[in-house]
Amino acid sequence: MTVSTISISDMHCAACANKIRSALTLLDGVSATHVNAARRQVLVEHSESTNPTHILQHIEEVGFSPRLSGADPSDHAQRALLKRLGIAGLAMMQVMMAAIAMYAGAFDGMQDMYRRLLELSSLVFCIPVVTYSAMPFFRSALGALRTGINMDVPIAAAIGIAFSASLLATISGSGEVYYDSVVMFTFLLLGARYIDDRLKQRFTASSDRLAALPAFGLRMAGRTRERVRLSDITIGDRIWVETGDQIPVDGRLDSASATLDESILTGESAWVERDRGDRVFAGTINSGPGFAVRTDTAFDGSRICDIAALADRAQTANPPITQLTDNIARYFVPAILLIAAATTLAWMSIDPTRALGAGLAVLVVSCPCALSLATPAALTAAMTRLRQAGVVLTRSDLLEQIPKLSCALIDKTGTLTVHQPRLNAITLLDVEAPPSARDTYLDLAAALQQFSNHPLARAFPAPQSATIDSPEIVPGAGVSGTWHDKRVRIGRNNFTDASVSSSDEVPDDQDIYLSIDDQAVARFTISDPLRQDAGAALAALQALDVPTTMLSGDSEARCAALASELSIDYISRQDPETKLRVTRELQQRGERVLMVGDGVNDVPALAAADISAVVVESNDLVKSKADVLLLSRRLGTLVDLVNVGRKTYRVIAQNLSWALGYNLVAIPLAACGFVPPWIAALGMASSSTLVMLNATRLLKVPEFDAGATRPPTQIMETG
Amino acid sequence: MQILIVLIPISIILIGIAAVMFLWAVDNDQFEQLDLHAFDILQDDSTDDSGESP
Repeated sequence: MTVSTISISDMHCAACANKIRSALTLLDGVSATHVNAARRQVLVEHSESTNPTHILQHIEEVGFSPRLSGADPSDHAQRALLKRLGIAGLAMMQVMMAAIAMYAGAFDGMQDMYRRLLELSSLVFCIPVVTYSAMPFFRSALGALRTGINMDVPIAAAIGIAFSASLLATISGSGEVYYDSVVMFTFLLLGARYIDDRLKQRFTASSDRLAALPAFGLRMAGRTRERVRLSDITIGDRIWVETGDQIPVDGRLDSASATLDESILTGESAWVERDRGDRVFAGTINSGPGFAVRTDTAFDGSRICDIAALADRAQTANPPITQLTDNIARYFVPAILLIAAATTLAWMSIDPTRALGAGLAVLVVSCPCALSLATPAALTAAMTRLRQAGVVLTRSDLLEQIPKLSCALIDKTGTLTVHQPRLNAITLLDVEAPPSARDTYLDLAAALQQFSNHPLARAFPAPQSATIDSPEIVPGAGVSGTWHDKRVRIGRNNFTDASVSSSDEVPDDQDIYLSIDDQAVARFTISDPLRQDAGAALAALQALDVPTTMLSGDSEARCAALASELSIDYISRQDPETKLRVTRELQQRGERVLMVGDGVNDVPALAAADISAVVVESNDLVKSKADVLLLSRRLGTLVDLVNVGRKTYRVIAQNLSWALGYNLVAIPLAACGFVPPWIAALGMASSSTLVMLNATRLLKVPEFDAGATRPPTQIMETG
Repeated sequence: MQILIVLIPISIILIGIAAVMFLWAVDNDQFEQLDLHAFDILQDDSTDDSGESP
């Protein structure tokens, strides 16, 4: 009997889960299925002879896109942790009730028989807590004998010593019992671990979703469709994508239109429309009718694979923060053990009856967890939160640097703008032409431009009636052809001999001219629209004291117009070297620079900047230089990045100062014998839980909303 | 107060039963999908071909 874990990314609800379950029970060799819709996973128990691929095909046939995934070891571990936590919780309730009665009895007098009875019942509840719930601490402390000391050593020592001493006291009938402290200590510590676990699980789930591609694609061959494995799909194949399916490989749309849910890539849940020829991306889900895709990348070269690889880099790199954890274990923990031993010895000579209690209190009250667990937990929570907004960090130590940012440089074309040129204005240059000539010229221009592969050509609509004979593309200049026996040309003004531009207008690179028989007749002004929330996002960054400067290769006039619209600074006529120089100069003035870009011409500046962010449309070289990948089409994610970064810094600072202050106050008090063990247990374990809960607050940092009426600084402070 | 001698063992047994039920619940996925069931109410009934009124 073997178990296969199958990820089904498009299983969203209980109904889907039922459909899959009932489909699999009919299958030979399958003995049991466990469906987990939250993780979009199915665990299938099947005989050795059954091929998992066969099961995948079967799930495919009921209309889902399954993918074989490795068994998830964290699943089993988390379940065990929950059980241990629950048992400790149930026991804690009972032991606490007995403890209240015993403390009351200590003041008001209590018959010895009832005291013994309550002690015994506490012992009964304490045994499963020590032997079952606290087992991970003992196991880890034992492991520490081989691998070096860790945080679990003082914890295991405290639980072990306190329980043994109490057991002796109960058997001999004299001496202090600490059952309440043991149980509470274990429960609250397990609680902190459980929160930590959930955080990590949420983070891995968000990574898994990035790597989730369907196992099969439907390749179209003539009129038939055959199911092929993802790795058998090659460049140029036509792939059919059914309603509700994920696109398996990047490509261009080969049907009239498509409705896509691109949230996996962009973090935006609104569906988007794509037209024939538009690029569509693997992993996105078809929310409309079926369509065909002509693939243009290898199966493992899709954008989602790049993103997943970059995101993995952040997880595999060893951040400085884990070194902090190691150092705490190396110095703090032995120090605690020494102080506890010294306290016990000192009290031996002062008052032997209090020696054990004081030593135990030191052991229990000190809290390495708050020091070491809290910071990684905060980073994990922040990265999960950013990933939800479509921001992927490729380095995990980045979050600590974000609060230091003092200015941002942003590239214009493709970063500030969407890099989808749009036809803005048509000006007739032929003064005698009737107004109706406008449509004729536009159609003529469109007919010419359909032969061009220049990006600006995409601004023109599809031609209606004009047909061009013998078209010729002149690289870097334009297109020429014959129309009704007249020579027509479209392109830059030097190509169309349009030296006629009227003097009152700014000469502009992005104007395209149409000429008929060397007579310029129309000018088409093409603009690249801004990203929808660019203005709001940059204003919000300014409010966060990260003023933005626009860098552009465009002309002075064009930049000035745009910059005044956005009320930001600008530097025009930039090339890669000058962009790098601007970045360096800012850094020499002590500024910490965030560089946002998209093109190869930004790469030197991106590499030099303190933090580099690139939009996801960039090519691989640019992405490889990126610290931050912006998956969303909104620039508001930059605001999210700064907000979450600052808040993370605050949470880490709060956690560390709390943990340090707490330990500095609590340990001396405990050594002096002022802290009874139960207060020590409560103080230590609740401070662990407190810092973990503080870290989870980062999951709830509000997302930047361009339409919000409140300025973003207020949102940040109330959040 | 002699009744405690009876009540405390009873409470131990009851808690034992509660613990067994809890372990059973964890093993049977009762704690697996804590945030999903809130949306079940929005789900259409799968047996909608039984001629319901619109």
